[in-house]
Amino acid sequence: MVYEWLNERLDLNRFKRKYLTKVFPVHSTYFFGEIALFSFVILILTGIYLLFSYTPSSRLIEVGGKKIPAAYHSILLINSQPLGVIIRYVHHWAAHIMIAALILHMMRIYFSGNFKKPREINWLVGMVLFTLAILAGFTGYSLPFDALSSVATGIGYQIANSIPYIGPAIAKFFFAGKFPAPGSIPRLYMYHVVLIPLLLIATIGLHMLIMVKQKHSQPYKNKDIAKSGKILGIPLYPQQVSLMLFVFFFTLSVLFFLASFLPVHNVEYFGPPTLQTPMVKPDWYLLWIYGIIKLIPGNWVIPLGSSASIDPEVIGGIILPGIIMTIIALVPFMYKEKEPLNYWEPVSLRPIGTSAGVAFIVMFLALSVTGYQAALNIPIVICRIYTIVLPMVAFFITYFIIKRKKREEVNL
Amino acid sequence: MSEKKFKDIHASRRAILKGLLGAAGAGALGCMVVPFGTIKSPSGKKKRQKIVKGDKLVYAVGPNAGKEIKVSDLALNKGTLAFPKGKEEHNNLIVLFHAKESEFQKPTKLNYITKGFCAYSAICTHMGCTVEWYPEKQFSFDFPHLFCPCHQSVYDVFHGAKVLAGPAPRPLPQLPLMISDEVIAAAGDFDGPIGPLPGGK
Ligand code: HEM
Ligand code: FES
Repeated sequence: MVYEWLNERLDLNRFKRKYLTKVFPVHSTYFFGEIALFSFVILILTGIYLLFSYTPSSRLIEVGGKKIPAAYHSILLINSQPLGVIIRYVHHWAAHIMIAALILHMMRIYFSGNFKKPREINWLVGMVLFTLAILAGFTGYSLPFDALSSVATGIGYQIANSIPYIGPAIAKFFFAGKFPAPGSIPRLYMYHVVLIPLLLIATIGLHMLIMVKQKHSQPYKNKDIAKSGKILGIPLYPQQVSLMLFVFFFTLSVLFFLASFLPVHNVEYFGPPTLQTPMVKPDWYLLWIYGIIKLIPGNWVIPLGSSASIDPEVIGGIILPGIIMTIIALVPFMYKEKEPLNYWEPVSLRPIGTSAGVAFIVMFLALSVTGYQAALNIPIVICRIYTIVLPMVAFFITYFIIKRKKREEVNL
Repeated sequence: MSEKKFKDIHASRRAILKGLLGAAGAGALGCMVVPFGTIKSPSGKKKRQKIVKGDKLVYAVGPNAGKEIKVSDLALNKGTLAFPKGKEEHNNLIVLFHAKESEFQKPTKLNYITKGFCAYSAICTHMGCTVEWYPEKQFSFDFPHLFCPCHQSVYDVFHGAKVLAGPAPRPLPQLPLMISDEVIAAAGDFDGPIGPLPGGK
């Protein structure tokens, strides 16, 4: 048989013993990471389909008497293929789902305390993954080169361009000139389909490798059932694989469902780029940065000598988001643990950390709502107040609840 | 071979190998620097073509794009995007509108206005989106204003495009206007730098 033939040469039995029996603990929150992974697989597959027809060029070509950018024209062509528009929307939706799943995945790790020793490295690797995913979303967004994406990408250019001293050089390099220069779309395309996917694949590989080496952390209740140091769960093959296949097909069908009923980024609606600017909003996962940019008063300028200054765009678009991401990345190093933590830690052991996490989520939501401030007609002063007050309220409420629970437990 | 000598040979072999590896690595890196050194920043330093007295304004968008804008085209409260004829580049984009002359106040440059026609740069000073002319009420602004759809900056057209709301750091530069042969024309260049300034300069 084929298996026997291969086994004699490759020692498949050893592989089976060693890896296919790897134990996976079971809990629904383990699926967040898997959903992110499967969305990435779907992004690659649909991305390859799009590559067959997409033209990475903003050069104007004449179509039916009108001059439109070649990239935009190729998107119209994709849309007219039998499955083209669905594949495009699946690609775009998969980008959203991947980032959403990543956020949920990070929240699970955060609230169960599993960023702590020995898993600090994988927390950092995860932050790199998250950043790469956002960069992939940003560069992909620019590719259709319609009225919406050209303006949105132009704002990205302006934020980079406003960094004092080095900004113009960075922006020119990243966008191959002042966006939209003739070289911009080819370069963003290169990032989107070559550089970032390669980095993502490598980083995902590292993430998985470390995870296999360190073994899963497991739900607290497993401590009472299995011996300490043993993982309670199901083997990779066949049980976990069938679960994974289920999650994969579930993700795929949800994506096709979303793509069929909720078009995202309908390029025909926005049309090719014009001199007028459409109402632009960044994708939801960047809306918080957009919110910060709106909150910062225009006169917040930090002068740096006579020739340069730090402008509000830089404060709101780069410095504050950078500080926030750095704080998140450094979370594991705020705890000093002697013993490695291999179980989920009850939130009551980290009252401050947990409350800060909840406060952060509330701030993320508040800033995102601020993105819609004009449409909702909320005065900006009110936005400034609630962005500061609501997270503080959330912090104290969570802290209070945890403390009271703890006291009740002690009294019992 | 004595034990010591054996060790010495190995130690020196190791040192040589390390040295060679280092040299190979440095050489390879050096070779890579050369092509990188040839990457030139794209020569995007094209200066904006200055607008001069007498440049006629043409429609920038719409079915009449490229046609000259006549005084009779724009009724009261009407506005449009315009270009100086022959200098149609993005940084020269103008928003032109017609309002009651008596409404304009300082710091608007009153001598830049003719017969209620007023023009500003259409490039938002925040991040360079195109501002829009809103003659009617919007949000809490119940007077004509310029509005940027990107981060909702609002410019007060009657007070020198002063920023009323939103993150824009500076007012929009104003363009002096005149009328020649019933066509609206520029009487000079903008009174300030266009759009966002790099690196906070
Ligand atoms: C890693 C995660 C990825 C994310 C988050 C992502 C995201 C996006 C987004 C948001 C768009 C704009 C879609 C639209 O509105 O039309 C896009 C377009 C595109 N992507 Fe990706 N993508 C990813 C990976 C890939 C990969 C691996 C490939 C190719 C192998 C690819 C190829 C393309 C192409 C050709 C387009 C332009 C066609 C179009 O815009 O419809 N993408 N991507
Ligand atoms: S670009 Fe106009 S408000 Fe930001």
